[in-house]
Amino acid sequence: MNILTFIAKNALRNRRRVILTVSSVAVSCGVLVTLQTLQRELTIPPESEAASLRVIARNKVSIAQPLPARQLGVIERIPGIVAVSPFTYFGGLYAEEKATGFAQFGVDPERFRGIMVEGRVVQGAYDDWVADRNSCMVGADTLDRYKLRVGDHMRFTGTFYPMDLDLRIAAVFQGTVDDRGVFFHHKLLDDAMDNGGAVGTWYMRVESAAVAPQVIAAIDRAFENSSAEVRAETERAFQMSFMSMLGDVKSLTLSVSSVVVFTLMLVTVSTMSMAIRERFRELAVLKALGFRRHELFSFILAESFGLAGAGAVLGIFGTWIFWSTVNLQKLTAGFLVYFEVTPRIMAMAGIVAAVLGIVSAMGPALAVARMSVVDGLKTID
Amino acid sequence: MAAEPIVQVRELSKIYRQGDLDVVALNGVSIDIFPREFVALMGPSGSGKSTLLHIVAGIDRATRGTVLVQGIDVAGLNESQLAEWRNQNVGFVFQTFNLIPVLTARENVELPLLLTRLNGSERRRQVETALQLVGLADRMHHRPDQLSGGQQQRVAIARALVTDPALVVADEPTGNLDAKSAADVLSILQALSRDSGKTVIMVTHDPKAAAYGTRSLHLEKGEIVA
Ligand SMILES: Nc1ncnc2c1ncn2[C@@H]1O[C@H](COP(=O)(O)OP(=O)(O)OP(=O)(O)O)[C@@H](O)[C@H]1O
Ligand SMILES: [Mg+2]
Repeated sequence: MNILTFIAKNALRNRRRVILTVSSVAVSCGVLVTLQTLQRELTIPPESEAASLRVIARNKVSIAQPLPARQLGVIERIPGIVAVSPFTYFGGLYAEEKATGFAQFGVDPERFRGIMVEGRVVQGAYDDWVADRNSCMVGADTLDRYKLRVGDHMRFTGTFYPMDLDLRIAAVFQGTVDDRGVFFHHKLLDDAMDNGGAVGTWYMRVESAAVAPQVIAAIDRAFENSSAEVRAETERAFQMSFMSMLGDVKSLTLSVSSVVVFTLMLVTVSTMSMAIRERFRELAVLKALGFRRHELFSFILAESFGLAGAGAVLGIFGTWIFWSTVNLQKLTAGFLVYFEVTPRIMAMAGIVAAVLGIVSAMGPALAVARMSVVDGLKTID
Repeated sequence: MAAEPIVQVRELSKIYRQGDLDVVALNGVSIDIFPREFVALMGPSGSGKSTLLHIVAGIDRATRGTVLVQGIDVAGLNESQLAEWRNQNVGFVFQTFNLIPVLTARENVELPLLLTRLNGSERRRQVETALQLVGLADRMHHRPDQLSGGQQQRVAIARALVTDPALVVADEPTGNLDAKSAADVLSILQALSRDSGKTVIMVTHDPKAAAYGTRSLHLEKGEIVA
């Protein structure tokens, strides 16, 4: 026997406690990892180089307020902007769907060419889309999901626009961070809305990430004190604020995560202190035999840490394997696409478990360090 | 009897303060115990026997007075030095055996050796020798709950011996045993002092147990009476 087997035998001596502790840590770590992954999926779209060069300008009052189309002339003249297109969210329901998991945007196809630069047309032809105002360009993921082909028609029922769309698929794109969207001619919106005085947002590409802050400031300034003040931001910042319309995802997951961690802490702290209280007398005997405070301290810490660690490994890797196996995209009708459990999230959950292991060892370990041998020996077991 | 006492207790007092009340557990105790003695410490309940034993063995501290063990002033050691000193110089036997239930007899006996520099095979040899001495070499792989009370106490004695300490202290080691097992345990303790050169101090209420010793000391109200 060595010290490690001694610690292991102590840790495993009560099977019920081991199962309770390990499984509660495992389940909590699983919930934690899942929540954090969900939050990441909803709030932080995967970054791409191209996305960092894109800027979106929206109405300062709210994203639901349109912007006047005439702003285009002003924006075009701002230095640093390579391309700009109207970019209007249609929010239609596809076919008979009650909820549609991909967005449709009205854009200017010719201008849009210079903005979504990382996407490649993999089927059909971009020029075909440009040429036909009743056609659209569709993301490959959406095409696959609905088993569509180039030439098929997609019909959308307007939700806040009092109009429906019937679009022929002219081109299919792939290679962006989110290959789901449908893009159509903004003219369709303009025509339906009395010859288009309005756009939803402006979508731009800037020369370099370095000039983005100046460009953003310049856009904001250009429309200051006008009837439609704008707020420009990077695509990423925009998407995050857009997501906040779904409710404050971040604070929601944070508060649920805290409840999980807190509950977990109650479980580990109480099981650990129970385990040590049961053994107080034995620990006093160990002291009499010559074990010093710091040795008993490290036994208890190792035991607690070991149990929490086992639960963490089980819960974190189990969850990782689970989410990489399940086809969430299919299950959630495309709402959750990547749901990637990142090393960062796994490490975070691991750290939480480790801290819990240490915290729950603290009380018992201090009590044991303070205990006098004689008092400890008097404990009735 | 050797000239130099192994344990020298001088004017030892232990007072527990409880609110306004002082409980005097030991009151000016002075004794000498010599190497190879097997001392039976007797006296009524509450007379201070355990307290005296604990202070001599270095798990409790006196209020006044000195204890020298092998010439070392135990009170002068700090917690950590005291722990190391106990590990090397004192073997403990308790009334309730106090074995670790999840460890086998061999592992229980090995525990104090984990604090030494001995390697695995050296430890094993010493553990087996100690278990042979108490006649339990064949029960090495059994856990405490697979052993009788008497056998458990013999394992505890093996654990007390395994570091080869000069001093073995036992607080009512036969208090929980039947007559036959008690006799086995007492014979082993007797053999330790007679044949293995250990000094044994045993607290007991039982005159028959005390008769195994080379000498009896009587405590009453914290004072030595005979
Ligand atoms: N922690 C303590 N606080 C207060 N008084 C104590 C404490 N420990 C022991 N005493 C008192 O000290 C006295 C001696 O106690 P001790 O345990 O040494 O007696 P003992 O002779 O071993 O008795 P027994 O035969 O019942 O074991 C008793 O009066 C006891 O109540
Ligand atoms: Mg006593």
